[in-house]
Amino acid sequence: MDFFEHQDVARRRTTRLIFYFILAVVAIIVAIYFVVLIALTFVGGDASQGGAPNPYAETPWHPDLLVVVAAATIGVILLSSLYKTSQLASGGQAVALMMGGRLIDQGTSDPAERRLLNVVAEMALASGTPVPPVYVMENEPSINAFAAGHEPGDAVIGVSRGCLEYLDRDELQGVMAHEFSHILNGDMRLNLRLIGILHGILVLTILGWYVLYSLRYSGRSSSNSKGGGAIVIVVLIIAVGLLIVGSIGLLFGKLIKSAVSRQREYLADAAAVQFTRLPDGIAGALKKIGGRPETSKIEDAHAEEISHMFFGSALGSRKVQFFATHPPLAERIGRIDASFDGKFPKRVKPVKVKPEKPKPKPKEKPRSPFDAVLGGGSTPLDPGGVLGRVAMPGMEQLLYAAAILESMPQPLGRAASEPYGARAVIYALLLDRDADMRRLQLDALKGRAETQSYRETERLASLIDSLADEARLPLVEMTLPALKQLSADQYATFRENVDALIDADEKVDLLEYTVRTMLWRHLDVPFGLAKPIAVRRRRIEPLMPSLVAVLSTLAYAGQESEADIRRAFDKGMAEIGRAGSLLAKPDCSMQNLDAALHTLAEATPKLKRDILGACIACVAADGKATPRECQLVHAVAAVLGVPVPPIGATAPV
Amino acid sequence: MGTEAWILIALGVICVLLVLSVIGIYNKLVALRNRFKNAFAQIDVQLKRRYDLIPNLVEVAKGYMKHERETLEAVIQARNQAADAGTQAAQNPGDPGAMKSLGRAEGQLTGVLGRLFALSENYPDLKANQNMLALQEELSSTENKVSFSRQAYNDAVMQYNTSRETFPAVVFVGVLGFKQADLFEIEESAQREAPKVAF
Repeated sequence: MDFFEHQDVARRRTTRLIFYFILAVVAIIVAIYFVVLIALTFVGGDASQGGAPNPYAETPWHPDLLVVVAAATIGVILLSSLYKTSQLASGGQAVALMMGGRLIDQGTSDPAERRLLNVVAEMALASGTPVPPVYVMENEPSINAFAAGHEPGDAVIGVSRGCLEYLDRDELQGVMAHEFSHILNGDMRLNLRLIGILHGILVLTILGWYVLYSLRYSGRSSSNSKGGGAIVIVVLIIAVGLLIVGSIGLLFGKLIKSAVSRQREYLADAAAVQFTRLPDGIAGALKKIGGRPETSKIEDAHAEEISHMFFGSALGSRKVQFFATHPPLAERIGRIDASFDGKFPKRVKPVKVKPEKPKPKPKEKPRSPFDAVLGGGSTPLDPGGVLGRVAMPGMEQLLYAAAILESMPQPLGRAASEPYGARAVIYALLLDRDADMRRLQLDALKGRAETQSYRETERLASLIDSLADEARLPLVEMTLPALKQLSADQYATFRENVDALIDADEKVDLLEYTVRTMLWRHLDVPFGLAKPIAVRRRRIEPLMPSLVAVLSTLAYAGQESEADIRRAFDKGMAEIGRAGSLLAKPDCSMQNLDAALHTLAEATPKLKRDILGACIACVAADGKATPRECQLVHAVAAVLGVPVPPIGATAPV
Repeated sequence: MGTEAWILIALGVICVLLVLSVIGIYNKLVALRNRFKNAFAQIDVQLKRRYDLIPNLVEVAKGYMKHERETLEAVIQARNQAADAGTQAAQNPGDPGAMKSLGRAEGQLTGVLGRLFALSENYPDLKANQNMLALQEELSSTENKVSFSRQAYNDAVMQYNTSRETFPAVVFVGVLGFKQADLFEIEESAQREAPKVAF
């Protein structure tokens, strides 16, 4: 199974969860109905001494009462569930901040933090996801980590202090690979849903507590009159009933949550091993968790709420099996490292972190991994292999990502790591190669941006000009965590400036389109300007016109002769198993491509894999991929929201 | 159903809404507070960088500006004061007292730095010194970053304060312990303009 399928499974599981949830709500309504009924019978009995008949004592069937109870219960649960979900709408950042996370500055000079950021950046570039911001929970000495968000674009990673102090680089890489597998497999979204749903049920118990609590104070004053006393008793019964029913509901909710979570943890462990090819890394981290007295326990009060998001059990490992959100440590280690004898290390010492220095560059420039693209103008491409790598990134991509990171000129890397420079990096990336055009663009920028960022842009422009094409999109991904720190006003200005730069030459070229798409796709959601894309299309037929448009554009982009264009297009269509006719060239404008891609973005993950497969087949029809084609595929993937590792990527020599 | 039951239900619904809104307000304010604290960390990084650069700058200038010892000492003193105020503010970002004194110290530092650069106009050798040029460039770029991240911090504080002061949050903030946060404004001093970089 690749991550497209895992995403589908996660989505189906979400649907099933909602079904269970509805069942639970029905059960809760019935239970509360009986509680209210009992309460009212009691009052009625009291009143019947006066002679009035008690309607509730005769038959348990009172449709009007049921309607009221059902409406109230559903209202409470739905409202609070929606409320919680909307609170988490801004994605992973909301969770990280709730846990008291401190954002690690991208330009940090602390060796341990630096190392962590490097590991995360390599992992992100290798899997083609935007580099997520990393938060550290300073007050947590245990070893634990989480990933949270709706989709890769708004994902964040949180680690405990213990993670920084006690894990070596390989172990850290293992833990991060585990978290990235949650990001890629679509677990995060499922996890956020779970929080919302459980909150709805939790509110019932909160309500019960609250009523009981307030009764303690109002009880004395109202018990004077007889009628008042009866009301107090009714309220008491209802409150206790709410508490009991809510608790039972919560119990089942937690059971569901734990069951879902445990399965996903095994999966993420396996994926992490596949990703890093270093079973010792993740196994070592798990052993260290077992060897420390703090284990992976998280002290923060919100830990319970997001316990299913963590790397290790956040509630300590001595919980009853049923409610454990994570499989037992020994079992997890056993699945990775068969030789594990069940003995955890007695003492775990903090790891000394040496500053990570870029390796000294050898004098003679070695063949860079992307020389193939620059030198020959095209890379040999095997469509099956590329899709395989997309679906399950591996060691090759990690090495390749590390190579790209290392080849990045230091000033650029530094600039990309803080918000001020990151903006300028993007501005500079968008500058045209043509000198006249560039002047036009810079003039447009000068009028808009503050003079300082204009100067910074000019300074970086020369560095970016000498940057290999293959490193440009990774550079954009590297700026994302810094850009997420802009304030809302700053982001609005930045957005306008980028548009102005792109529109200055009155045409949108491919790189501009790709950069803009990647930026807005990943930044608009955290800044609250867009909602995460919802899955609306489950069948391929209605999507065919859009797919035809995309494939036609790809075919025109990569091929010269009429016959080749047709052949590439047909290859793509054959991959999806449908027939269609090539669009005329004028119909393949950027606007049409954009509209078509946005329609395709609403497809299910599995359909997206087929769509991407068709695109890659089309690009690879002649067995080669030009840089232009590679960029187009990245643009397609960016809009679809499918992480794609660098396509030309082969293991560095 | 009797009127009593209806009243009970209405009361229940009101209670739910009340509890929910308090929980919601609390969580929202916590997140906003963390956001501006994180935004201050951004400033802090740049301020520290600036404090590290200044002694180097003074060291280079010392070799040329033999007769300006007072100014140079004033720079170092202002730098130390600002660094202290910075440490204070970083411990408690948003605290009115800490932010004020940091703003004042920063204003003073900017002022004496401006004086130093104005004086350096009289020393052509110093102006041509490569180290000096590089340091000045680095310093002005750091200043820009400070003002940029200051803008982000102030935006975050504004957002926090606004949510804090809107109804119904304003009813609970006192009990929940959310204090008013202060903007980071560099206080006007006699020479307020950022150090001029002359080439």
